Amino acid sequence: MKLRQNATTALALVAGLLFLSPVLYSIWMSFQTAQSYYRGGFEFSLGNYGTAVTKFNFARYLVNSIIVSGMVTLVGLAVSTTAAFAFARFDFKGRDLLFGITVATLMIPSHITLIPNYLTLARVGLLDTYAGLILPAISNGFAAFFLRQYIRGIPRALDEAAYMDGARPLQVLWRVIVPISRPAIFSMGLYIFLGEWNNYIWPLVAVGKEDLYTLQLGLARLYSVNPGEGLIDWPLVMAASTITILPVLFGFFLVERHLVRGITMGAVK
Amino acid sequence: MSRSLHISIAASFVALAASTIAAQAQTTVSFWHSFNNRAGEALEEIIANYEAANPDVDIQGEYVGNYNDIVARLQAAIPANRAPAAVILEVTRYGLFADGGVLVDLTPYFEADPLKDVLYDYAREIGVIGDKNYTVPFNSSTPILYYNKDIFARAGIEGEPDLGTFDEILKAAQTITETLGSEGITGIAAPGQFARWGLVMANGSDLIDSMTGEILLDDPKTIEAYEWMASLVDEHKVASADGVTEEDNGRDAFLAGKVGIMMNSTGNYVGAREALGDNLGVLPMPCNPDCSVPIGGAGIGILASAPQDVQDAAYDFVSYAASAEANAIWFAATGYLPINKNSAEQPVAAEALANQPGIDVAIKSLPYAHGRARTPVVTWMRTTEYDVWQAMALGQTPVEAAMTKFAEDTRAEEARISN
Amino acid sequence: MSKLTPYLLVAPLVAFIAIFTYVPIVSSVDLSFRSWNFMSPEMPFVGFSNYARLFAWDDFWDSLKVTTIFAVISVPIRLVLALAIASYLKRETLSSRVLRGAMFLPTITSTVSIAVVFSWVFSTDYGLANGLLTAMGLGKVPWLQDPSVTLLVLIFINTWKQLGYDVIIYIAGLQAVPQELYDAAAMDGGRRFQVFRRVTVPLIMPTTYFLLVISVIEAFQIFTIINVMTRGGPAGATDMLVHLLYRTGFVLFDIGTGSALAIILFVLLIGLALVKARALGAKVHYEA
Repeated sequence: MKLRQNATTALALVAGLLFLSPVLYSIWMSFQTAQSYYRGGFEFSLGNYGTAVTKFNFARYLVNSIIVSGMVTLVGLAVSTTAAFAFARFDFKGRDLLFGITVATLMIPSHITLIPNYLTLARVGLLDTYAGLILPAISNGFAAFFLRQYIRGIPRALDEAAYMDGARPLQVLWRVIVPISRPAIFSMGLYIFLGEWNNYIWPLVAVGKEDLYTLQLGLARLYSVNPGEGLIDWPLVMAASTITILPVLFGFFLVERHLVRGITMGAVK
Repeated sequence: MSRSLHISIAASFVALAASTIAAQAQTTVSFWHSFNNRAGEALEEIIANYEAANPDVDIQGEYVGNYNDIVARLQAAIPANRAPAAVILEVTRYGLFADGGVLVDLTPYFEADPLKDVLYDYAREIGVIGDKNYTVPFNSSTPILYYNKDIFARAGIEGEPDLGTFDEILKAAQTITETLGSEGITGIAAPGQFARWGLVMANGSDLIDSMTGEILLDDPKTIEAYEWMASLVDEHKVASADGVTEEDNGRDAFLAGKVGIMMNSTGNYVGAREALGDNLGVLPMPCNPDCSVPIGGAGIGILASAPQDVQDAAYDFVSYAASAEANAIWFAATGYLPINKNSAEQPVAAEALANQPGIDVAIKSLPYAHGRARTPVVTWMRTTEYDVWQAMALGQTPVEAAMTKFAEDTRAEEARISN
Repeated sequence: MSKLTPYLLVAPLVAFIAIFTYVPIVSSVDLSFRSWNFMSPEMPFVGFSNYARLFAWDDFWDSLKVTTIFAVISVPIRLVLALAIASYLKRETLSSRVLRGAMFLPTITSTVSIAVVFSWVFSTDYGLANGLLTAMGLGKVPWLQDPSVTLLVLIFINTWKQLGYDVIIYIAGLQAVPQELYDAAAMDGGRRFQVFRRVTVPLIMPTTYFLLVISVIEAFQIFTIINVMTRGGPAGATDMLVHLLYRTGFVLFDIGTGSALAIILFVLLIGLALVKARALGAKVHYEA
């Protein structure tokens, strides 16, 4: 029985590796030289990573991606949590309308805003800035919608006890609601971070300056300009691709359960 | 007044003067261009030489991508006020920007510049629309025909091949594909857009008449030329479809020794020579029956949105970039045509002419080289031509129908944008 | 506690949403009635002529066709595969967790990376796909150069990327089906496939409906993979709607027609989203 179980696990592992083989092979390829790749041999080398960082600025792109995704996540969570708190706990005029407006963003395709947002940011001079990359991405009601549902499940008695002790609304949010909602907030944070990390079309139009490229832009660009006259330098491109996906993969192994929960919660979107 | 006060006043004057000088030293000219790799290095050398002679100017060159990328990024930059001070603009695609008032009319600068007397007419002319000068030439080119001598020999074609007409080219490409196809070698690279335009001219027509602006996309001779080009890929299969979907693939495969013939800008000469060495052969474009090649390449324009002092500095750099000294470096490093009458006398250029056989093929074709239309609609026409060409070369649409429709659409677009 | 408190709490989010979502919708409508190329100082009002241009434009209809074909082929494949795999992986064993994890990875992996990696897989001369074909003694296929093949390649890649997501959602749905129902069916002597067909499929219908709608919506929003791999080619074969929108706005700079296209896309997707809302309603109903 035990043997059989081990065998199925091994088989599952092989199937999983096979499924991921294109990506795994690309990572493998990134450790060899272009010459040996085209000759059909294998020569281990970290040179592609060196080139990606020194000649093509991928360290900078990595930092940019972290700044942009990190800020979108932090600011997004902050405004969403406070709004969710208000929607869940306060009775105020226009609440349903405002909540409706917030939830409706889930249905509105972001691409319709592409040209107008470009022009808005152009007018206020925020293209080619971090702010220009970050601000439009905050305009998403999903986290507020989701966290409101979660907060409604927290007994009101807890808030009321805090109010009795003289706490103010923001203190209640910070000391009562946030600690209890931490798993939900964390999952939402991952969800937002990943979405922003992989965002492509907005950075593509909003950024022209190379030193503000995110990893996605840098990689797409590296691939399209085809480094090296003659044949494409695939190992170099794969090194850049690996830099682009590795942070996310590491994160995945660290917090897989949270992530899966975030995505399944995303399903109610 | 105490002495120390005097000193401190004097000191602050000095500081003030120093800060003004420092402020002058800050004149920064942002410059978008389309050159990377070897050409990019040559351009950097030219920029460095200029900056060494003009320490108060900082030229910030930025590689943006190919000519299409530059046009797209420039147009997107205009409402955002993030256009550079100077920009490389391909010779047929700046009409849109000149027309929209985005480019500075350089005529007054040019009239006062001794450069105007030492530039070749063919080069100077590419920057002119009507009676205004919008760009100063930087890199001029014509297409030429490159071939791989080793591949020709292995395919059994001995001596200097006859590649002067469409039929001869097709025949050689077929011989190569038949004999060496099993080794992954194809006869010819699918022609890129510059070569396509050249082949249309060699067939006695044009895409848009350079004098009258008449759209000739559905002219029978234009259609005939496109039918021949498409047949290389679709019917005869002597050119790989790889070079149709991504035109650089054709060049890259030629440089990698996988393709027998390539028609492309003379600006690829030095790169091809380095890649293939003595196996590189160079011939003029075919005459089928007309000997007529387009003048391509680009000039540098200056943006009206830049402050006056930056415009002045930019012009000074642009003028230097076309000087004999800079142009000789450029010619020797790339194979682009000399645009300055004195370039060839510069040692670096003379050396290239002596040691690089074939670098002068484009120069010799200048007597029958012609400037092309640069009306505002050309930008749209060239952007759209890629899709039309793909549809024809990949056998999706018959050439005649596609070109007729393309001509109609281009006329409609011209009417629309002139409103 | 001030009456203003709740308004202050929601204000930041609502401001972001207003500025970057609702105002843009209004300006899209406005721009769709104007003629502009980013350069001219004026934007003349041209009535419905941008819409007329769009409807007379072959590229628009081709794009709509390509997008529809993509959805029609890819969605059923995804659903069938995902349900089959989910019913196999729904048990909480180590092996199914490993496989779920592996299948899920592409979902969260950068689309640009995936596009680049598969550009290599499907490149004509040095790619993995043609390498395998050659090893089996078969000829090379021009995967990304043949208009009749390239869309299928993109469907394959997209399915590979999204399958893990569908599987996870199906597993969640399957685990919600009460075990007694299976037991009852099994007691009736139903064979495994019969149970699957008669019990599982109908009970999982709300999840299927939900996945169906979101994968159709997704098909109407595909952009990255096209922009990196094919730019809509070869010969327009993969020029799906959002790519056409990008091309019209940021390559051809026909802002009016691009905005008209955005509005059309908006109406289409809102329609689909309303269907999705009904699907969710159905799901909630079932769960209650």
